[in-house]
Amino acid sequence: MITSSNLTKTYNGVTVLNIDNLDIPKGQSFGLVGNNGAGKTTYFSLLLDLIQPTTGHIKNKNILVNESEDWKPFTSSFIDESFLIGYLTAEEYFYFIGELRGQNKSDVDALVLQFEDFFHDEILGKKKYLRDLSKGNQKKAGIVAALIGNPEVIILDEPFANLDPTTQIRLKEIIKNLAKKQGVTVLISSHDLMHVTDVCERIVVLEKGEIVKDLATSEATLKELEQHFAG
Amino acid sequence: MIKHFLSLEWKQFRRSSYFQKGIAIKILLFLAVLYFGGIAIFIGGILFFGLKKTFPDIDPIVMVNNYLIYWILFELMIRFFMQQLPVMNIKPLMTIPIKRNSVIHYLLGKTALSFFNFISLLLFLPFSIVLIVKGYPLDNVILWFFALMCITMSINFLNFLINKSNTVFYAIASAVIVIVALKYFNVFDITEPVGNIFNGLYSHPYLAIIPMLIMIGLYKVNFDFIRKGFYLDGAISKKVKEVNATDLSWMDRFGSVAPFLKNDIKMITRNARPKQVVMMSFFFLFYGLFFFTQKVYIEEMPYLLGFASIFITGGFLLSFGQLVPSWDSEYYKLLMSQNIPYRQYLESKWYLMVFAVIVAFILSTPYLYFGVDIYLIIAAGALFNIGLNTFITLFGVSLNRVPIELDTNANAFSNTNGFNPTQLLIALPKMVLPIIIFFIPYHFVNFNAGLIALALSGVIGMIFKNFFLNKIEQVYQKGKYKTIAAFSEKK
Repeated sequence: MITSSNLTKTYNGVTVLNIDNLDIPKGQSFGLVGNNGAGKTTYFSLLLDLIQPTTGHIKNKNILVNESEDWKPFTSSFIDESFLIGYLTAEEYFYFIGELRGQNKSDVDALVLQFEDFFHDEILGKKKYLRDLSKGNQKKAGIVAALIGNPEVIILDEPFANLDPTTQIRLKEIIKNLAKKQGVTVLISSHDLMHVTDVCERIVVLEKGEIVKDLATSEATLKELEQHFAG
Repeated sequence: MIKHFLSLEWKQFRRSSYFQKGIAIKILLFLAVLYFGGIAIFIGGILFFGLKKTFPDIDPIVMVNNYLIYWILFELMIRFFMQQLPVMNIKPLMTIPIKRNSVIHYLLGKTALSFFNFISLLLFLPFSIVLIVKGYPLDNVILWFFALMCITMSINFLNFLINKSNTVFYAIASAVIVIVALKYFNVFDITEPVGNIFNGLYSHPYLAIIPMLIMIGLYKVNFDFIRKGFYLDGAISKKVKEVNATDLSWMDRFGSVAPFLKNDIKMITRNARPKQVVMMSFFFLFYGLFFFTQKVYIEEMPYLLGFASIFITGGFLLSFGQLVPSWDSEYYKLLMSQNIPYRQYLESKWYLMVFAVIVAFILSTPYLYFGVDIYLIIAAGALFNIGLNTFITLFGVSLNRVPIELDTNANAFSNTNGFNPTQLLIALPKMVLPIIIFFIPYHFVNFNAGLIALALSGVIGMIFKNFFLNKIEQVYQKGKYKTIAAFSEKK
């Protein structure tokens, strides 16, 4: 589904990302871990064509992301708060995203209804603008918005950060469900090794922009990761 | 302490990503400063002799005093539109041991160095020197000059308040309107009593203490105003207002651009800054009154008619349009990664501006009072706005990468000003072009030819809409990464 080849990103002579080859097949739940500055967000930004690769390219379903915009209809993402429109209510935001992705109001309502539980009664019908919600609730709205319109690829940067424990557990269910049952390719990054091993079938460890581990998740994975990061 | 603040600010200035890009514009601004400064000195120098020659019976100082009120109002207006207010990121300063008062003193002190204060200085200093050379009493002139400088600083601080507080803004604005209206309808002319006051300042120099006290008082009011806002929930986080949702589904008939149009309407109605800008564009409608009520303009400076007509229907275009991608800067990454072709985004902005021009044109119907010719030129101007100015605006702003904080009203620490001089400079070509298009055929053929040329240029622009939009899209695509990077820069 997503192929990265010879991908590098250099800022003022410092290489922050250098991936020779990375193939993410369709329907995989893919986890990216690494310390600060490892290149996780850089990789996701390249994937979304928010920054320009220094060399190489990424293909999303055989579409070169930095040359065509045709990957946009089946790809959705939530990277940070700049993906939210602060002066809309959560509902309006969902409808707006829905309209962009060719969904009508009732489609969006039906989808959002499934996440009532996830929202914990703090988001819908509150008559509050997104900018007035807490960081955690903003994140919830952003994540659910990324699920609108049956995307084939979903990219979530640090989805567990800022969420309360209950929501973290619910989010894990949602992500697992997406990959396993619906064949969606899910890419997440996280600092929480436990969550990421719980959710992802495959985990790639980045260090200073390079892939140092590429693991198929098993019983032993968490231990291995913990050992790796303990140094 | 001040040393620290200065170094922080210098770093912010040097390290912002739009600094490099703006260097050409900064040079232009610098030249403009030199130019206006030079003019001020020149006028200040010759003012005495000019007045003496034109009105030999009246003492030049009395003449200046009589009309000083207009200068003050003019200065206030120019400042309101152009003066950049000091901005400071106070959040990180709140928890470290710096006295709040010193931050505020610094902030207010900084405004004293504004170029606008120097205009008065450069104008009245040469004038005062000439007065002294001409043998006017030294004490009177010096204290009169001092009083004027105090008044300038008072305007400076008053402008600060006007910008930050809606109450003060409406109070001052209505006072000015009442004064102008009273004079216009010959009910009461404030010029004379006010002139007497200024003449009094000159003849009784010890009265200079009054402007000084006013200045100190305004400083104190500003100080208290900012002091009050020096809390997280005052200056930084905003009041949570309950949403009043409006049904905009009637806009769905606009097809694929409908979601953007609806979103833009919400953006404008729910955020302080765009609301302010749209309000301002409404006032552009009255611009024609300056021109069409004066026979001089119609008969002797007809090339200005094209110019005026652009303004009447183009207020929104000029004020809102020139900040186009910036309005969406807070969520630009979303727009760039969502299922939105760039082209559609630009087209929606185009429709929004066209819609605004049409609304303004309908609202301008009362100009029929000035005759069909005037109304026709407004119509031609509207066509030009729709067909060409929209594209010129979209093209010009592709270089605009200054992020906007949408909801910062009545906030003592950020800039709520809708205009800034850089954008005015970019806007110049938009105003000159219609003058040229109208004037050349007018000059060589007749009025109707100018009218037709102006209208036709707009129609041609509309025919080539797709071509223009494609070209503009390419420019935006090219700058996309830079724009994203600049917009994600936190102030």
